[in-house]
Amino acid sequence: MHARHPLRLVLLILMIVGGLFSVAWAETVFVQAKTAKLRSGKTSLDKVVADLQYGEALEVVKTEGTWTEVRTRSGVTGWIFASKTTTVKPSGGGDDELAKAGRLFKGKEASDATASAGARGLTEVSGEYAKRSGISQRDRDMVDRMTAYKITDQEVEDFLKKGELGEYAK
Amino acid sequence: MRNNRAIAVIITFGAIAMLAASADVTLAADKKSGGSRFGDILGGLGTLAGGLMPIGYEEEQSLGQAISLQVVARFGGTLEQPELVRYVNLVGQAVALTSDRPDIPYHFAVLKDDSINAFAAPAGYVFITNGLLKQIHNEAELAAVLGHEIAHVSQKHILEVIQRSKQLAGVSQAGLAAAKQNPQAFKNIIDTAVKKLLDEGLDQEKETEADALGDVFAARVGYDPTAYLALLTRLRTLKGDDPAFFKTHPNFSARIDAVQNSIQSHGLKANGVLLAERFARRS
Repeated sequence: MHARHPLRLVLLILMIVGGLFSVAWAETVFVQAKTAKLRSGKTSLDKVVADLQYGEALEVVKTEGTWTEVRTRSGVTGWIFASKTTTVKPSGGGDDELAKAGRLFKGKEASDATASAGARGLTEVSGEYAKRSGISQRDRDMVDRMTAYKITDQEVEDFLKKGELGEYAK
Repeated sequence: MRNNRAIAVIITFGAIAMLAASADVTLAADKKSGGSRFGDILGGLGTLAGGLMPIGYEEEQSLGQAISLQVVARFGGTLEQPELVRYVNLVGQAVALTSDRPDIPYHFAVLKDDSINAFAAPAGYVFITNGLLKQIHNEAELAAVLGHEIAHVSQKHILEVIQRSKQLAGVSQAGLAAAKQNPQAFKNIIDTAVKKLLDEGLDQEKETEADALGDVFAARVGYDPTAYLALLTRLRTLKGDDPAFFKTHPNFSARIDAVQNSIQSHGLKANGVLLAERFARRS
């Protein structure tokens, strides 16, 4: 009996191991862009089914050309332009963990400053530095304007579209 | 029959080995990110041991602005042409948003100066001289140049210089409180960093890394990665082996070789766009 069905036994083992293998093998990618659109198809004309954020983990379903079909943690499936993903988890660009811990440690200095706090003009410290270093008002105003200059993500998106760049390539 | 059993055993072991291999791959990936974080933490602990806290974004912003004030002062100010400012910011933002550090604001300006150069200061401050802009032929080349500077920001190259400057200046406390309590120490730190950035240049391997990464960032947007090679080749013809120019950067031949290698190793394809007409219109 045992000798008669060794291949069946092997097939059964393979099915079990194969199932485990496919689960273990499911590739994860992360969003490597400040924002990204998940679309119902692999063109920029397809409907947006979800807006993705930097660092978000996605399970790869398959890749075709320059697009990757993925599943989000909340179960939404769609296509993302492959250049906006990475296989290495992004570490984040704002404060690293130790810096955050350091700011908390410093008590009142800890603030809710985030990456979005960039568009306010010169800080008190750099303003004081300008005074001490004899930087002219003209140059101060230039850095002030540079800091406050705003381009929205939507304007960048429109710019990419006009240039037929990335996911808008024809 | 015995053969069947032998085959069965081999296949079973093979399958288990594949499963183990997949676990290894997962573990390796975990180790990679975990290891990096662990390395960061160790690096951070080393910094703490030296009496310094890591530089947080808020402090980075003040440092970046202070260095930018010096850059603007030294290079005769920025061009205030609204269409040009908007165009350079659009190209820069497009590259920054898909860089390795897309979650901070970036600021771009054109310096009035006619020398051929570009600079980055912490917290996303990026400058290109009008002289370099005049040598650029298309948007893809501009994107790669801005990408190079964005890479200095994303890899925190200048912040490393500042950490060293702090140690040289004998500042044992980091943070804005220290800068407010001792503005002279803050000024010393900035002056040392500006000297390194503008007069001595960053370490050559940092420049090579910025070349490679900047081109990758531009290619992610959809620009042709070989455009940067064309620009570097043109600049090599123009500048030759001018030692003054190479005080702050590796020579062009070395940079071209490194970018070529990077394009190959990253599998970048020369099928992106150049957008020469849009660059000529600057809009």
